[in-house]
Amino acid sequence: MIFETFKIAIQSLFANKLRTLLSMLGIIIGVAAVIAVVSIASGSQAQITSQISDLGSNLINISPGISSGAGGQISRTSADIFTLDLGKHIEKNSPNVKRVVPTSSASGLLIKANNNYRATIVGTEADYQVINKYYPVKGMFFSQYDVDNSTGVIVLGTDLVEELFPDSEPLGQSVKFNINNSTQVFRVIGVMEDKARGLIGDLNSQAYIPITTFMNKVSNSNYVSNFVAQAVSSENAEMALYEIEYLLDGYISEDDEYNIFSQDQLLDTINSVTNTLKLMLIGIAGISLLVGGIGIMNIMLVSVTERTREIGIRKALGAKKSNILFQFIMEALVLSSVGGIIGIFLGGLASYSISQIGGWPFVMSTLIVLIAFTFSLFVGMFFGIYPAYRASKLNPVDALSYE
Amino acid sequence: MINIKDIEKTYQNGKIEVQALKGVSFEIEEGEMVSIMGPSGSGKSTLMNILGCLDTATSGYYSLNDQDISQASEKELAYIRNKEVGFVFQQFNLLGRKTVLSNVEVPLIYSGAKKKERIKRAEDLLVKVGLGHRMKHYPNEISGGQKQRVAIARALANNPSLVLADEPTGNLDTNTGEEIMDLFQQLNDQGHTIILVTHEHNIAAYAERTIELIDGLIQRDVVA
Repeated sequence: MIFETFKIAIQSLFANKLRTLLSMLGIIIGVAAVIAVVSIASGSQAQITSQISDLGSNLINISPGISSGAGGQISRTSADIFTLDLGKHIEKNSPNVKRVVPTSSASGLLIKANNNYRATIVGTEADYQVINKYYPVKGMFFSQYDVDNSTGVIVLGTDLVEELFPDSEPLGQSVKFNINNSTQVFRVIGVMEDKARGLIGDLNSQAYIPITTFMNKVSNSNYVSNFVAQAVSSENAEMALYEIEYLLDGYISEDDEYNIFSQDQLLDTINSVTNTLKLMLIGIAGISLLVGGIGIMNIMLVSVTERTREIGIRKALGAKKSNILFQFIMEALVLSSVGGIIGIFLGGLASYSISQIGGWPFVMSTLIVLIAFTFSLFVGMFFGIYPAYRASKLNPVDALSYE
Repeated sequence: MINIKDIEKTYQNGKIEVQALKGVSFEIEEGEMVSIMGPSGSGKSTLMNILGCLDTATSGYYSLNDQDISQASEKELAYIRNKEVGFVFQQFNLLGRKTVLSNVEVPLIYSGAKKKERIKRAEDLLVKVGLGHRMKHYPNEISGGQKQRVAIARALANNPSLVLADEPTGNLDTNTGEEIMDLFQQLNDQGHTIILVTHEHNIAAYAERTIELIDGLIQRDVVA
């Protein structure tokens, strides 16, 4: 009986191929949208996560905060406690911290002959390479000697080399850096590797100089912008975080504020943001699935009206109410399940293509495929029941005399 | 076999009440062939629909094969339409998307017969009505007379005790109509109880008994 009903449903859907396709279209688009949205969001999330983990989940960022001024004092940043000594203090006294690297940055104009380029110049130490897993491909990075002696050397990101030295060898040449109307000259000693543009910004368009040189010549200040601490391992990152907080609280006055966060916390924040975004997009895609369901109901209602006579004949030949109800529900289910399957394929295809373009991994979870399919069945069922019910309760005489 | 008493049927046609049957009573024995005659609007089709359990009377008593139909549930009525009554309509009422063979199978599907039995039974019936060579055709590929033969084969599918025919020759030319009536005659000779509704005297003449309705009341009930 179930098989017979299924056959009847298939036959009547095939009898109106164009209409069947059109009524399925809503479900197809809805399911495809849900699948694509989830897959694309998951893929890009996986990429972001892997980028952050690439940076090392054992990194902790420490930067000055803003203190409110007490008793009418002007509020100030606590930048003036961020000395090089503070970094050394943490490195020495926190057992879970392997190394602390200070960084400061400024934006200005890098000039070589007739070429110039607006670039960010970063003052740091040699361990910057280790922390960011970022190394020179040509020449070398500056050493502790350069930091200790505040030498005028510079290491360029690949983009800068392309802009400033389009057809000459950069190593050994001098470049000028212009900031706040003062110009400094640096000697190029290295070119960094090409690093994919990621979360921490575009490393390729930055230049690197010793932190001491930065403080003496660029910022003219005794303070650095922030520290990056590396815990001995990612398991120890949380302990290291507490140790640093403890040390800072002892080292600075209560009024001074600072921000400290680990890569893990950053990951959590980003994940929660992308998850919210994902949910929102699923919601929107879900609405289109719902609209698709209404489309099915519309077509089913037309179909019931159009086939009133058929229903009458079937009833005259002994069809029970349940037979007719089941027949039309079956049609709605076939519509929505076939639409769902096509939608899953199209959604998969779309998200695969987009992941190839976007360069992130193709992720398609079985769970979301199941959920989308079940939901489309549910939509078909829900919107199919009313037309089916209307068909089933038709009076045989009235149905037979319907023109 | 059939026993009706004081059957009344009132329709609500908009705000106007139309009394199609005003108290009709008769008995029909098993194996009879009865024609119900009357001008249009006399209530003969309404009576037919009530006898065939397609419609229910407003009041009165109806028993078919000793079962009280006036008390039957909707599910029981569906069962009776399937097993006890075979319907032949003026407009044939075949399902256009199904082959001749599948059309005859429909009542067998609803009675729950297995596929093999269904096909065997449908083929036998189509041979019996002289359509053994048209089984795979679709209704729009065969003539009106052939369509009516398919409808008769379908009506006989579950071997019902009662065959009802509502103007079965109304859409057929005279010769074809006579062929169809001969077929009904044969079925009656084989023991089927047949009731046919018509307004043509020569068609009614095939039956040994004629009930004439006018304005919802029996005018005459004569056995030839």
